[in-house]
Amino acid sequence: MDFLNLLARLADLDSTSAAPQPAAPRRAALGQLGQASTALLPGLLLSALGQPATAGTLDTRTRLDVLLLVRQLAALDNELHSRALGLVPGYPALPLTATEKAGIQVIQQQEVQRIALFSQLIVDGGATLPATPRYDFTGSKNGTQAALYPNIQTNPDAYLLVAQVIKDAAVRVYKSQVDFVRSDIYLTETLLRTHSAEARHAAHLRTLRRQRGVVVKSWVSPDDAAVPATSAAITRVYEGESSSIQTYNISDANGQLGALVSVPFDSTLPINVATPPLSPEAILRKVAEAFDEPAEAVVATNVAALFTY
Amino acid sequence: MSNIKQNASEEAEFAKPLYTPIKRRSFFMYAGATAGATALLLSGCDDDNDNVVPNGTVSLGSGDVGVLNYAYALEQLEAAFYAQVKATPAADFSAVEKDYFSQVAAHEAIHRDFFKAAINRDAPGKIIPTLGAADLNFTSIDFTKRASVLATAKTFEDLGVAAYNGAGKYLKTPAYLVIAGQIVSVEARHAAYVRDLISNGSFADDSIIDPATGLDKAMEPVDVIAAAQPFIKVKLDASNVGK
Repeated sequence: MDFLNLLARLADLDSTSAAPQPAAPRRAALGQLGQASTALLPGLLLSALGQPATAGTLDTRTRLDVLLLVRQLAALDNELHSRALGLVPGYPALPLTATEKAGIQVIQQQEVQRIALFSQLIVDGGATLPATPRYDFTGSKNGTQAALYPNIQTNPDAYLLVAQVIKDAAVRVYKSQVDFVRSDIYLTETLLRTHSAEARHAAHLRTLRRQRGVVVKSWVSPDDAAVPATSAAITRVYEGESSSIQTYNISDANGQLGALVSVPFDSTLPINVATPPLSPEAILRKVAEAFDEPAEAVVATNVAALFTY
Repeated sequence: MSNIKQNASEEAEFAKPLYTPIKRRSFFMYAGATAGATALLLSGCDDDNDNVVPNGTVSLGSGDVGVLNYAYALEQLEAAFYAQVKATPAADFSAVEKDYFSQVAAHEAIHRDFFKAAINRDAPGKIIPTLGAADLNFTSIDFTKRASVLATAKTFEDLGVAAYNGAGKYLKTPAYLVIAGQIVSVEARHAAYVRDLISNGSFADDSIIDPATGLDKAMEPVDVIAAAQPFIKVKLDASNVGK
């Protein structure tokens, strides 16, 4: 990248003219980071610089934005599971089996560990932690509107459904967020390691639901029973997940990003491992299962917003 | 007769210890002459069409293609394992478990074929050879026993997750990082499921998730290949993956 271009990008950052919605927190965070002369700053700028010049309509995020997002998702999850386990005053434990409880405790405790990790990274970077949100997992925004899940604090099936949706959303969103921290090897690996742990959690929650009689696999499948469309945010979590078209970019001679091509799973690949052979349509359903799809941060933050007031 | 003798004496000549120091010294002389010479040597290795270096070791290559070849090798191993499980299911499998392995066999075959297609299109001539049945060594697995098959499946899935987690930082092409992410979460879902089959609730236990940070495991390519090598007869060299 040439130096003038770099200066131009810095100027953009300064005026925040190209920044998307959360402009004020970003400016504040940059200010704090500047004062603290932190280790986060170079990477913060680098990740912003890494965006294409036409970033105006794209989702652009600094490392701080990403850390705040993943911490927000971990905190949401922790609160949901803590209430289900009866760890939060005023919320009696759900009637889960001992085995179910044991697995959910594993999930909840790992969320606590990661909240601590993300919080430390944010504070060490010179930024401040946001105030703890107020949660209402019925989706009624503290009784100000009709509840989406009125029995979530008493019915394990309702709770496990919401738990699965939040995890599946996180698994999708992590895939898109890693790109924003690529300049930082430590954070890249931390996000990847969180991402696969989240996928393990999602699989377990799906297994728990299947054991309770729901038609759902441990991986996202076109054969899963549809998740009830209680709101657009919930529906969006699974939009595009049944994709059987996988694309990748050819890199050109200089290692730069080249043309986008799709893998011809539907026509040429010898993936028919079944006996008797699967129909082409059945193969494509397997392809959809074999890949989880990425999603932008807003898919998860919209879900979080349903349960926050 | 005389031919055979001649060959034997030639081999004996090569086996003489005297030759080794001379060759090594001349190698270092050339390699050390200039940095450019070393670079030339390395780039020469990169361009090897079949990735086979003289002693029969298969080099996975370097850079992004190296990472793709690395993933392709692991997916071939997994796909071959599950294909075998599917072909000769253990007698003590439940119907549900049989179904599980049939589904996962399809996923892994798809992953394998995806990488094959991606490498052939993106880096023609740089793909590693196919790891056929003769190149793999599953003698340590008792395919007739549920416990042996589940334990191996757990090993392979956990290893695959750790491999993708450790290799992500080496990928320079953003699209590859996303694709790797699309696959690793499915591997992690497999791992969680097979772990729960072995012991319900062990989907993310302390043996695989660091209890201090809540993070899944990540492993370097050379360590992953060292762990996978007992199952693969041909020697794989991951030392340049991502470099």
